[in-house]
Amino acid sequence: MTTAQPERTGAPEGLSLRHRLRRDRSLILMTVPAVVLLLVFNYLPLFGLATAFQEYDPLVGVWQSEWVGFDQFSRLLGDAMFWHAMTNTLYLSFVQLILFFPIPIALAMLLNTVLSERTRNFIQSVVYLPHFFSWVLAITIFQQMLGGAGALNQFLRQQDIGTWDIMTNPDTFALLVTSQSIWKEAGWGIIVFLAALSAINTELYEAAAADGAGRFRRMWHITLPGLRGVIVLMLVLRLGNALSVGFEQFLIQRNAVGHDAADVLDTFSFYYGIATGDYSYGAAAGLFKSVISLLLIWGANRLAHAFGDDGLYRK
Amino acid sequence: MTNVLTIGRTDGKRDAATRAARRRARAARPPWEEPPTTVGQAAKGLTLGGMLAVILVPLWIVVLTSFSTPGAVNRAGGLVIWPDGLTAEAYRQMLSDSTVLTALTVSLGITVVGTALSMVVSVLCAYGLSRPRSLGHRSILVLLIVTMFVGGGLIPTFLVVTGLGGYGQWWALILPGSVSVFNILVLRAFYSETSSELIDAARMDGAGEWRILGSIVLPTSRAVTAVTALFYAVGYWNSFFNVMLYMPTDAEKWPLQYVLLTYVNRGNGMPGSVNAGFGSVQTQTAPLSLQMAVVVLTLVPLVMVYPFVQKHLRTGVLTGAIKG
Amino acid sequence: MNRRSFVNAAVSVAGAAAMTPLLSACGGGADRKTGANTEAGLKSALPAYVPSTSGKPEIPSVAGGPDAATDPAYLSYPSAPVTTVSGVPGKGGSYTAVTPLWGTVPPAGNAFYQAMNKALGVELTMKPTDGNNYATIVPTMTAAKKLPDWIQLPSWWNPNFNLGGLAGTQLADLTPYLSGDKIKKYPNLAAIPTGAWQVGVWGDKLYGIPCFSSKFVVAGTTFYRRDILEGRGIKADQVKSADDLLSLGKELTDAKRGVWAFGDLWTYLYTAWGAPLKWKVDNGKLVHLFETQEFLEALDWHNRLAASGYVHPDSLAGDNANATTRFYSGKVLIDGGGTGVWKLSDHQAGIAADPNYRRGAFNVFAADGKSKPVVYMGASTAILSYLNADLKPAQIEELLSVANYLAAPYGSAEYTMANFGVEGVHHTRVNGVPTFTDEGQKAVQSQTFPFLASPSAVISNPGGDIVTKDLSAWQADNVQALTKPPFWGMNISMPQAMATAEAAQAVSDTVQDCYRGKKKVSEVQEAVASWRSSSGDRLKGWMTENVLNKYGTGQ
Repeated sequence: MTTAQPERTGAPEGLSLRHRLRRDRSLILMTVPAVVLLLVFNYLPLFGLATAFQEYDPLVGVWQSEWVGFDQFSRLLGDAMFWHAMTNTLYLSFVQLILFFPIPIALAMLLNTVLSERTRNFIQSVVYLPHFFSWVLAITIFQQMLGGAGALNQFLRQQDIGTWDIMTNPDTFALLVTSQSIWKEAGWGIIVFLAALSAINTELYEAAAADGAGRFRRMWHITLPGLRGVIVLMLVLRLGNALSVGFEQFLIQRNAVGHDAADVLDTFSFYYGIATGDYSYGAAAGLFKSVISLLLIWGANRLAHAFGDDGLYRK
Repeated sequence: MTNVLTIGRTDGKRDAATRAARRRARAARPPWEEPPTTVGQAAKGLTLGGMLAVILVPLWIVVLTSFSTPGAVNRAGGLVIWPDGLTAEAYRQMLSDSTVLTALTVSLGITVVGTALSMVVSVLCAYGLSRPRSLGHRSILVLLIVTMFVGGGLIPTFLVVTGLGGYGQWWALILPGSVSVFNILVLRAFYSETSSELIDAARMDGAGEWRILGSIVLPTSRAVTAVTALFYAVGYWNSFFNVMLYMPTDAEKWPLQYVLLTYVNRGNGMPGSVNAGFGSVQTQTAPLSLQMAVVVLTLVPLVMVYPFVQKHLRTGVLTGAIKG
Repeated sequence: MNRRSFVNAAVSVAGAAAMTPLLSACGGGADRKTGANTEAGLKSALPAYVPSTSGKPEIPSVAGGPDAATDPAYLSYPSAPVTTVSGVPGKGGSYTAVTPLWGTVPPAGNAFYQAMNKALGVELTMKPTDGNNYATIVPTMTAAKKLPDWIQLPSWWNPNFNLGGLAGTQLADLTPYLSGDKIKKYPNLAAIPTGAWQVGVWGDKLYGIPCFSSKFVVAGTTFYRRDILEGRGIKADQVKSADDLLSLGKELTDAKRGVWAFGDLWTYLYTAWGAPLKWKVDNGKLVHLFETQEFLEALDWHNRLAASGYVHPDSLAGDNANATTRFYSGKVLIDGGGTGVWKLSDHQAGIAADPNYRRGAFNVFAADGKSKPVVYMGASTAILSYLNADLKPAQIEELLSVANYLAAPYGSAEYTMANFGVEGVHHTRVNGVPTFTDEGQKAVQSQTFPFLASPSAVISNPGGDIVTKDLSAWQADNVQALTKPPFWGMNISMPQAMATAEAAQAVSDTVQDCYRGKKKVSEVQEAVASWRSSSGDRLKGWMTENVLNKYGTGQ
């Protein structure tokens, strides 16, 4: 995995284009269906991006709406609320990266050490279920357990101990949403790592054990390298998505902690774009985010290459 | 040093006896593994137990609420934590509706057809992009990845699909979202790691790319195939937004999730203020119970399908294949 | 982004939107007309009003100010419904109709639809569509120019649908068929009051057919648990000021038992301080809510209330989804809410939770306890249906005849058919009042046809007379307080930039944080100042110049 892959079989570099085309034509052919689908359903609608440069009116359509050049963008860049949402997003993204990202990996490895197949299967089939709860339900459950009138605080109140404000405290909101995300998505997140673990040859462990490698050295030298490709891929994607920290989760809790703490880029586009009928403003915010995200993923990929990993594609 | 040698087995079925033997063998600790420390074991148990608890308790609350009487729900002032009054009325009400059964068929159809299509397209694409230094693979990858971050928006997509005649058509529910670049990237990451020695050997024997994909790459990556198929199936099973766009008014074509949404929304009143007078709803079921029954109903198929995926996630299956 | 939540959030703002003037934004692209209807144009477009003579309500309507009256109430149902339409209205045409539905969708092509089609004499394919996603569905239909022949478009979504723009391009102009005395061809439609028709007029032409018109439309009020408060010897009329309410909060809150006095009050209470709904006209000058001292006073009180400990923590946390459950279970005793909830289903759900359950509402009061109590009226309907502009004149006439059938008055044979289906199949008479059978519950109960056309609203709750009596009494007690806000019933089209300024998202966010105790009043003042300088003052200028000076206040 970490060692360089062998050269394209029997194909020293410097072959003519025609030769390479003939050699790889089946590979290219294989990508055609996916490429066509994406061209039609993802690239064709990109004309909608034009609305970011307009005063778009859904009724007269994209072609007839008034063109305003970069007006929406200059409005955006001068909007303090936008920068506030941007700061919030980056901060939350950072917190989630540190606290959330490692957990599915650790859980997958932990689960992998459970010997009893029945126990392991049971745990596996339970932990992924919260993924299918809607955010509304997930947050209702949190509210009922930890909210101001929830089970915990009602208990504290009856004991005459002061209540603990968890759900509406803007200062600890980042921790709250991260723990909600962990609760809901960590179990689902382990699936892909379990698949990677299942591809590791157990003989490697046996050989390492025979060489006197202990539990942690085996983990360090066999398990983690075995997962490395997938971990790097997920990490690169996570960094590319640094400007997306979730939408619904924040929308629902915006009332609870106030918009100062809960506004992220996606809720910003919604509240200050779509919800008020200011479509072009929302589109401009969306396009701005897309461009930054592409830069981020390009950067993350370069970083992966710098560390000798493949990232999204080979260097 | 860690170039993992994963050798696949090409025969699909193994006889039951060997399988049972392996299962027994796996349940025991491998001879080379040292016995665990008490502290380690306790920490592990505590972590896993805690994890299970934080998931099972809410799950219990959801299921219990779905079986609770309106009185119980209201006494609890929300979700029910302790059993108070039990009834299966929410389920009876939901399942007695013929629309639900029609919708179930529609959902299954969309999920099966959609997943099959998506898997074929994605597996082919992922493999096509997985061979190092093949012509144009990087440009195609960039083309794919861009779509993860840049979109034209709701109305433009809608206009493209309707422009192609998709309004009210089944394919409008499947094709627009049939390619998940994320899934392709995951598949590709696994395919790239399939041992090149194996592939070289096959190529020596004169196998083309299609044969290599079918007889070497696919069989050695069953885990990731199962996982991506699960991702796709779940996506199709849960999708309702395209229905809302392309067939919002054709109730007999709605999939289960969309019909259930109308159940969830039953508890929500009409916004604005209207004195509708006559024609109010007889409330035998608390809206919350009905909503939780909907949640449970959507979880059931997932609980039933997961074991099939899990089968492919077992550690050591491949190793066993080599030995056996 | 998750689209479902997008839609839900749009719904949650709809309640407030229903109260404001019926505005519709339009972009700067087309040289579309902005402004409102002219007085003369409105007059020539509106149909004549010929009140219905049938039906003797047990509790008759009580008149208030202009266009204000209580809804008539019935405690019984006519044993032999009279027929108001002779023969079948239709001529066998085929049409599709789309209506929003907040409930479970009835099976397509069910027996009730068939029976209705037979009675109507048309092939009307009913396509009820999820109400909570309606604001997303309709714009896609209009973008693809795929509107059905007949569609229901609630007015609180006018800005989303751009109704001012749809009128005349995709929706049919009904002026040639209904204006003035022409409506007399359709006597049941003629019995719908003028104020409701006014909501369907755009650019001096009539487009909408009003449903459930009422002269007692208020956005909401402050409800209380009548059974519990009376059980403690508290009478509703003891609350005459904000201070009274606050001291009631102290008396009722028992946090250890999980009982709090208040839920979410602000939305329906801030006008008690004398603040306008959104605009007021002071000496001929337009003043916005955010500029008024009364608004700040109301905010300050609510901000203090949030800190008082009398408000349920979940309400402070903005968890509105379970507000009704908290009220039923007696964990919240006083809560703001839309008046639409006060009906039989609420009563039934309430007594399922607590056999003593009884909903009550405080009389409208002024915060200082001295001023004249005022509650602002909404337009006479928010539910209007429209016909497709592509229909031929003969088809429009056929559908108007169908609408006339559907608008037959309470207790008539047509009303019984459209609302209860066929006797013996969809309903049976229990104690003389129509009661749904299982079949009827599935097919008829979730209203479909009444959303295309229906008579003026009445209060009627078969099997729950206490609700009818309580609601009628409350309406009668408060009908004098009903006041028309400026621009009442005016359909205003404004440029997008003005609509965005009107929404004042940044200010309303801060206001919400303030009455939930997260922000100080001074912070709201800062947000208002920044809103005014960025767009608020321009909005006021635009409204003054293009609406107030040209079309007046609609009083």
